Amino acid sequence: MKKVFNTAFAGILFLFFSCDIAPEEINYGTDACSFCKMTIVDQKHAAQYVTIKGKQFKFDAIECMVNDIAENGSQKVGIWLVADFENPGNMVKADNAYYLISKSIKSPMGANLSGFASEETAVSTQMEYGGKLYNWEELLKKFDSGK
Amino acid sequence: MKKNLLLIFGFFYFLSGYGNQIEVCGTCEVTTLRDAIEKAVDGDEIIIQPGVYKEHALEITKSLHITGVGMPVVDGEFKETIFSVKANNFSIKGLKIINVGKSYTKDFAAILVSKSEDFVIHHNEFNNVFFGILVEKSKRGRVENNFVRSESESQANSGNGIHLWHCSKMKVSNNQLTGLRDGIYFEFVKDSEVFGNNSYSNLRYGLHFMFSNDNAYFDNIFRDNGAGVAIMFSKFIKMYDNRFEHNWGTASYGLLLKEIYDAEIERNVFEQNTIGISVDGSTRINYTNNTFSRNGWAVTVIGACYENVFSKNDFLNNALDLSYNSKINTNRFENNYWSEYAGYDLDRNGVGDVPYRPVKLFSYIVHNTPETIILLRSMFVDIINFSEKVSPVFTPDNLIDSNPLMNRIND
Repeated sequence: MKKVFNTAFAGILFLFFSCDIAPEEINYGTDACSFCKMTIVDQKHAAQYVTIKGKQFKFDAIECMVNDIAENGSQKVGIWLVADFENPGNMVKADNAYYLISKSIKSPMGANLSGFASEETAVSTQMEYGGKLYNWEELLKKFDSGK
Repeated sequence: MKKNLLLIFGFFYFLSGYGNQIEVCGTCEVTTLRDAIEKAVDGDEIIIQPGVYKEHALEITKSLHITGVGMPVVDGEFKETIFSVKANNFSIKGLKIINVGKSYTKDFAAILVSKSEDFVIHHNEFNNVFFGILVEKSKRGRVENNFVRSESESQANSGNGIHLWHCSKMKVSNNQLTGLRDGIYFEFVKDSEVFGNNSYSNLRYGLHFMFSNDNAYFDNIFRDNGAGVAIMFSKFIKMYDNRFEHNWGTASYGLLLKEIYDAEIERNVFEQNTIGISVDGSTRINYTNNTFSRNGWAVTVIGACYENVFSKNDFLNNALDLSYNSKINTNRFENNYWSEYAGYDLDRNGVGDVPYRPVKLFSYIVHNTPETIILLRSMFVDIINFSEKVSPVFTPDNLIDSNPLMNRIND
């Protein structure tokens, strides 16, 4: 009897925790970008967000996510993540990240935009390749005004 | 006698003007490619005899003609770019170039061409490449009869077979491309042609156009790729006589059109793709004499698409012919053959007497809730499709083919 109870309890706990919104992993090569429909392949430039209801949106480039937000608004977004250029495949929080637009680093959708987890590497990459640094708010503003 | 001598001298003078030959082999005077390239002057020919040459970062800034005899191997030992050329009027042929370095910040290639004009890269074999042939800011080049192969397991460290960036008047023909990220990638390329290529088993696209106007591709085969061809943000593209086969998968298409204007799509064959053509935000496109056979969807239209014309196409045994998500329709369907058409032709003029409605109610349901696809071919779906056919409620009433043909046209 106790065993049954424990199992049921565990089950309820599982249900409870599985309601938590969490980003799904991106399957590179099979998932398509929610914005431009291109297959996501680039681990250095991918981006994703999860809505407060837990719906997953994945993007092949940071510019696609930013354009999506410019179109659809950001009210429903729970978590947003961008790939860390320095550690391909690692996703970091978008609003804490640093962004570089540099002509010598191409990104999938032509904006030449890369994200960095640390300001240090962003600055050192800028020194090496040139370009301009942005933070999240500045980046959103830039794409909004581009419309 | 004196005249003859003069003639002979003249002949040799002519020869020397034509360019010297420098031979490279293990026992020759010149044993490395680097040496040969340094010694050569404009117009010279470098003949490479069979053997393995472990060299990379070879910079060419002269108009040289590099010719391999019996497929000599140039092994880059996974270090970096192997040939990097910045010269007009050069050619590279008959080499087997292998093991290009991989990097996630730099695009290493077997042959990198930049700011060059009038060149030919032909009859080479590439293996284990990151990028195969990468051409930047160049004009009037030809890339022909090459075989580019790589074994990209994950896409993170794979490059494209033939990648053109900011080029014009290029010709890419009769190449074979496999195991790459994109077989052929055109980025900011104009007035160029892609024909006779066979691009198969690539991870992302067989052919990919991005921001490239006024191009044409024809007589190519795209098979077993992540998606056959993707054309994005481009204008005035002609696509004809291509085959799109077996591009299966959840994010897979025979042909993906995104923000395309004024294109011609003629005489292509779409066979067994998840989606034959996925059209998104594309306007003024003529689809003529194409064959759509045994696809999941023959055509899906999402987003705003205006003034497209589908005429004289064969729609054969597709699970769903057309999926369409908007109520406004300015797209026309005329004189197509639909294998699902169940009408009659009493006056025997080859044209069906009742119009055909290519959009089924079920395709709307699937569009909104993809999981319902498991109900396909069930009794329930037949009933709702039939009821929609009898009294249409959901399908735009002008989305019809008023003159469906009774027999196939494109064989």
